[in-house]
Amino acid sequence: MNESESIKVKRNLTALVEFSRIINSSLDLDFILNNVLLTCMGKFLATRGLIALNINGKLLLRASKGIPEELKNKFPELPVDENLIHNSELKKYFSEGRLQAIEKISSSDDCLGIVCLGEKLNKQPFTEDDSEFLKTILNISSSAIQNSMVVDKLSVVNRFLDSRVQRLNSLFELSKEFGLFSESARVAKLLVYSIIGQFLVSKYAVLTFIDGITTVIESKFPEHRLKELLNSDDFLKLENPLSKHEIGKKYNELFNLGIELIVPMQLQGQTKGLILLSKRINNQEYSESDIEFIYSVGSLAIISIENRRLFKEELAKQKMEEELEIARGIQRNLLPAKIPQYSSFDIAVMNLTSQQVGGDYYDIIRLDDNTFCVAIGDVSGKGVPAALLMANLQAFLKTTCRQGMQLEEATALINDLISENTSDGRFITFFWGILDNEKRSLNYVNAGHNHPLLIRDGVIRKLDKGGIILGVMKTMIPYISENIQLKKDDVILLFTDGITEAKDKFDDEYSDEKLEALAVDSAALSSKEILEKIKTDVQAFARGTAQSDDMTVVVIKAI
Amino acid sequence: MAEFSTSTKDAGDINVIYLKGYLDAHTAPVLENTFSDLIEKSRYSIVVNFGELAYISSAGLGVFMAFIEKIRENNGDIKLAGMSDKVYNIFDLLGFPLLYEIFKSEEDAIKKFDEIKKLEK
Repeated sequence: MNESESIKVKRNLTALVEFSRIINSSLDLDFILNNVLLTCMGKFLATRGLIALNINGKLLLRASKGIPEELKNKFPELPVDENLIHNSELKKYFSEGRLQAIEKISSSDDCLGIVCLGEKLNKQPFTEDDSEFLKTILNISSSAIQNSMVVDKLSVVNRFLDSRVQRLNSLFELSKEFGLFSESARVAKLLVYSIIGQFLVSKYAVLTFIDGITTVIESKFPEHRLKELLNSDDFLKLENPLSKHEIGKKYNELFNLGIELIVPMQLQGQTKGLILLSKRINNQEYSESDIEFIYSVGSLAIISIENRRLFKEELAKQKMEEELEIARGIQRNLLPAKIPQYSSFDIAVMNLTSQQVGGDYYDIIRLDDNTFCVAIGDVSGKGVPAALLMANLQAFLKTTCRQGMQLEEATALINDLISENTSDGRFITFFWGILDNEKRSLNYVNAGHNHPLLIRDGVIRKLDKGGIILGVMKTMIPYISENIQLKKDDVILLFTDGITEAKDKFDDEYSDEKLEALAVDSAALSSKEILEKIKTDVQAFARGTAQSDDMTVVVIKAI
Repeated sequence: MAEFSTSTKDAGDINVIYLKGYLDAHTAPVLENTFSDLIEKSRYSIVVNFGELAYISSAGLGVFMAFIEKIRENNGDIKLAGMSDKVYNIFDLLGFPLLYEIFKSEEDAIKKFDEIKKLEK
């Protein structure tokens, strides 16, 4: 070896060591391939070069220099196998691309790809030596290339995992937020923000179908038009998401609004709402996993919306229940705790309050040792308002009773007071009378109440004298009263319409006729027994059907 | 509960929104209001400074999507600046860099607005 040759070898060696150091210090595939190409081209004075890599068994062009764009695009897609270098398609491509040298890049057990170099600038052919040197360069590079390919692959996997983690985070975050019983408008907003942020969507809408009502909660599409188009049963029954293709085919009008994806929001297999989305701004299609994600967050949202609704409903129910309890309390306190005893009269009372607390009222007020007042009434309406009006009535009644006023005068006064005190159209049907123990007589006024029955010797006489119901207007026509001299064994039966209008399961009413017949039949019994008969008969008629009205009966028997 | 707040600064024709803390489903309405306020005042050139933002979720990203059309219709834009790597990574994952200009610093973003204004003149 002469001196110049030895210098040349030394320089080559130094260059190789430097080259090895540089490419092995990086894991950036582009940087490494670039370096390999430039080194080869510089060494062999080649004007063009390319590197194609084995990606999942297929040879793909990965880096090139000096190769026209058009030629790059023509690179054949080839399987990597034993005969790769002799592949005719590849050979054709080489001659077209004026590529002359080709060498495999091999790892210990695999072909990583190929390097191809174009003709030399000095038009000299590639020599045996050149080929050996090229092999050396590639041997040095192969581990760096292999490592960086793995890193590349990992980073793709990582990115995929990152986006999965990101989606899971979104799901997690939303489920946390949705658990807070937020307003449905807020839930919908968070839902769409999450979706449009995740998928780069510009237009969206969220609808719910709850209790048969279609509600547009959020919409960037024309709301009115949307409601029109979605008001078909098709959407209530929509079980699977509709893709752009399906919408375009079946629902052209929706498609024309720009809707490219419809995802149902389902709860226990029922479609309770829809999410509508426009195209993605980055022009990507919604993938299956995208749609799955949207379906999941949609379901989370609808659960939250539905839960809140049920919660509210339960709350309202509870509130009503509480209110009814108050009404029941008021009503209970108004009814007499003890029935006064008089020697000429046998008295029995029954008052059954319905679930909703009706407005039945009865009272027996002791005036003195000889006289007492009996009253029965039915306040229109139910619940607390009825109970309060009833309380008013009782207060007026108790006051006027003790003033020693004439019954008709007192009734007129009470009517005036009630009229003044009701503004919402409430009224009271009312009957009251004064019973005299010594004279065994009744003086009564009936202000529009169901006619009480007086049963004497199997004949019914209705106590119907009086005037207009209380509370409708101030007294214009005076009330009239009636005096009745009672005889031993006379029965007076006072009741409210809860008895005669008690319903059976066919919604038929118990009726006045039935009550009257029963009253005549059982008139010989004691007050208490008569009351029991009525109660048993009405209950047998209703057979457990829940009654909407209170039932009150007062039986007074002259003895 | 994680804290989030915004503050704004008038920089001539441009408004800068500073984000601080955790922008997630829970705090997204705060930023929403900030954008609504600016749009109500017809301020459409907006730079968002992410310098002190620790975390953003997809609901937070959604806020940017919700206003961008309206802003661009009015010849404005939302430019993003000063993101930490962690925050940038989420924007990047979801493909935002294709649709939004993201700058290293608030100044760069403002400069870009100024250049466009000059070109328009």
